[in-house]
Amino acid sequence: MIIEMAKLRILGPRERLEDVLRVLQDLSLVHLSSPEAAPLARVELTPAQDRERRHLASALDDVERALSALGVAEGSAPVAASVTRADLARWARLASRVRRETERLAARTTALEEERALIMKYQQFFSAFRALLESETRWPNATTYHVLLRGGDTATIPQLRVTLSAAIGEEFQLFSQPLASGETAVLIVVSAQVAGRVERLLAEARVQEIPVPEVYGGKSLTDAIPRMLARLGDIPREREEIRTRLRALGREHGAALRSARAALNDRLRALGALPLTGVTTRAFVLEGWVPAGSRHLLDAGLGAAFGEDVVVSEVSREEWESEQAPVVLSNPRLLRPFETLVGLMPLPRYGSIDPTPFVAVFFPAFFGLMVGDVGYGLVLAALGLVLHARSRPGTTLRNVAEIIGPCALFSIIAGVLFGELFGDLGRRWFGMRPLLFDRADALLPFLLLAVAIGAVHVLLGLVLGVVSARRHPRQAMGRGVSALMVVLVIVGLLAAVDVLPRAFFTPAALALLIAFPVLIVLEGLVAPIELLATLGNILSYARIMALGVASVMLAVVANRMVGAMGSVVVGVVFALLFHLVNFAIAMFSPTIHALRLHYVEFFGKFFSPGGVRYQPFGHWTRVPDRSRPAPRNSRQAA
Amino acid sequence: MNIVLTALAAALAVGVPALATAWAQSRIGPAISASMAEKPELSTTAILLVAIPETMVILGFVVAVVILVRAA
Repeated sequence: MIIEMAKLRILGPRERLEDVLRVLQDLSLVHLSSPEAAPLARVELTPAQDRERRHLASALDDVERALSALGVAEGSAPVAASVTRADLARWARLASRVRRETERLAARTTALEEERALIMKYQQFFSAFRALLESETRWPNATTYHVLLRGGDTATIPQLRVTLSAAIGEEFQLFSQPLASGETAVLIVVSAQVAGRVERLLAEARVQEIPVPEVYGGKSLTDAIPRMLARLGDIPREREEIRTRLRALGREHGAALRSARAALNDRLRALGALPLTGVTTRAFVLEGWVPAGSRHLLDAGLGAAFGEDVVVSEVSREEWESEQAPVVLSNPRLLRPFETLVGLMPLPRYGSIDPTPFVAVFFPAFFGLMVGDVGYGLVLAALGLVLHARSRPGTTLRNVAEIIGPCALFSIIAGVLFGELFGDLGRRWFGMRPLLFDRADALLPFLLLAVAIGAVHVLLGLVLGVVSARRHPRQAMGRGVSALMVVLVIVGLLAAVDVLPRAFFTPAALALLIAFPVLIVLEGLVAPIELLATLGNILSYARIMALGVASVMLAVVANRMVGAMGSVVVGVVFALLFHLVNFAIAMFSPTIHALRLHYVEFFGKFFSPGGVRYQPFGHWTRVPDRSRPAPRNSRQAA
Repeated sequence: MNIVLTALAAALAVGVPALATAWAQSRIGPAISASMAEKPELSTTAILLVAIPETMVILGFVVAVVILVRAA
């Protein structure tokens, strides 16, 4: 459900504004909004405050970069009881210093990686021409060029020979050797007199020459290679030293940087709250929302700090629109994980209906009907338990694990009703019998069940639409008539196919004829089209049957592979693989389609998106609480 | 002959909408993928948009089932 909010106005002497904001930040209850009263001037940041804001933002950037580079962004942070400007300045200096140090270490790591890659390239080259290069020193008047050609670039070598012959005659030798990397190593030896012309030719041909780096000494690759190999041995040690240094920095400054992050964010939030304040020459006015049930905490907190100096009054409900109020979803513990599924859509507006309880009931039910297999349900339950054990409370993964639980339960229940355990294996091995019907044979009953469930779900959506439009009588009546007409169409159809007595048909048809003009008057000319769309929505639930039948058929095919492969072992392996594929499909497809049935067919009847998330003015936390009111009377660590 | 025609009708009832669904999804998929590259928050919309054309093949499947059941 969406919990009730109260809009409050806080008045006090202007000189106490910053103190009041500090207490409000400690309380973390009020979602601030701009006061709307006309004679109020808006507080603007002074030049000094604006400068402070810019400096803090820059320091926060340093802190975030340093924490990220050190890999210590997560973790507790001791929070000082009071943070002074000197503390903020000290943290800003620390963040800047650590950020520079981490950037220097990161640059060094990159340089080492590049150096290693370069040496590896030379090592390959040297291995290819070792015998030739070892005699390099005996070519006193020769210049050597080391060239690497891309893999598959075979036409270049003959072209190179032709071009060199044309330019310098026969005063060169060219050797080529394919490398394990797919590239081709080329060694060109020319007399020193024509070296300049060859260099120009190579540059014009855009051939990648790999000159011996000066840092390894000399022009001879034979001399440089031993130094390079020695260097190759040093690089891992240097990288380990960098990692050790980073770990040491993390241990030394991690906690301080996390505290700095919390404090800097807090101060920035406090500065950000100032422009949301209205002032007169002597007084200030703050406005905002608190959950109605938490109002007493605000009164108590401000009363204890300021006594009679600060007054809190409630803005009457007539003075504000529902659209302005922030939204807090509050559901029982069992239903709360399903807020994750609702959260994939925009937040519902204040005053509308939170669909979470309905999703918590219908989503696992639809999923279970589509999977409908005791074996798959048990495997899914095991998967859910593993995820639950490996996830932390409050994370999306934990919510997913807790959604898997009911889905697995409904799959097992549906599996018992349809008599399925890994397809028809339960029937063949354990004599399981369907309690409801066999999905593989009873196509029509399954189809009717799916459409009937759709009718109930869509009608529930229409009824919720009437409830959510209760403040707009005309709209509510229109939705009510629309729901009634859907019921009449269903009754008429059932009477026509003799499921209901024929006597129902004529009254239903007459009632439809009467309701039709009423619907057009209330909802306009689009209403009949929407009515047809609603009937289409109900038929759309046939996908429950379609996916269910596909699932059981694939499972049956998997089981038949055991006897169809000639060898039992091969058959079992193929059957297991096929079951695995079917299980993967059974997890993905029913989830998507159950979600779609909710988002399109169900939500479309009543859901009003566009709510503003409740974000109380409070202390910074690493993972912001998305919607729940969290009254706190003391500072909370990140 | 009747069995052949019935089977053909059922196959067409599910086959043609399946082709139409595939064509629609082939257009929607790249478009929504491109949009998601710029706005990852469109993932829910992506699920909906890709799943919407599947209604065609679902309804085709229902019609095919009805044809086969009536013929039986």
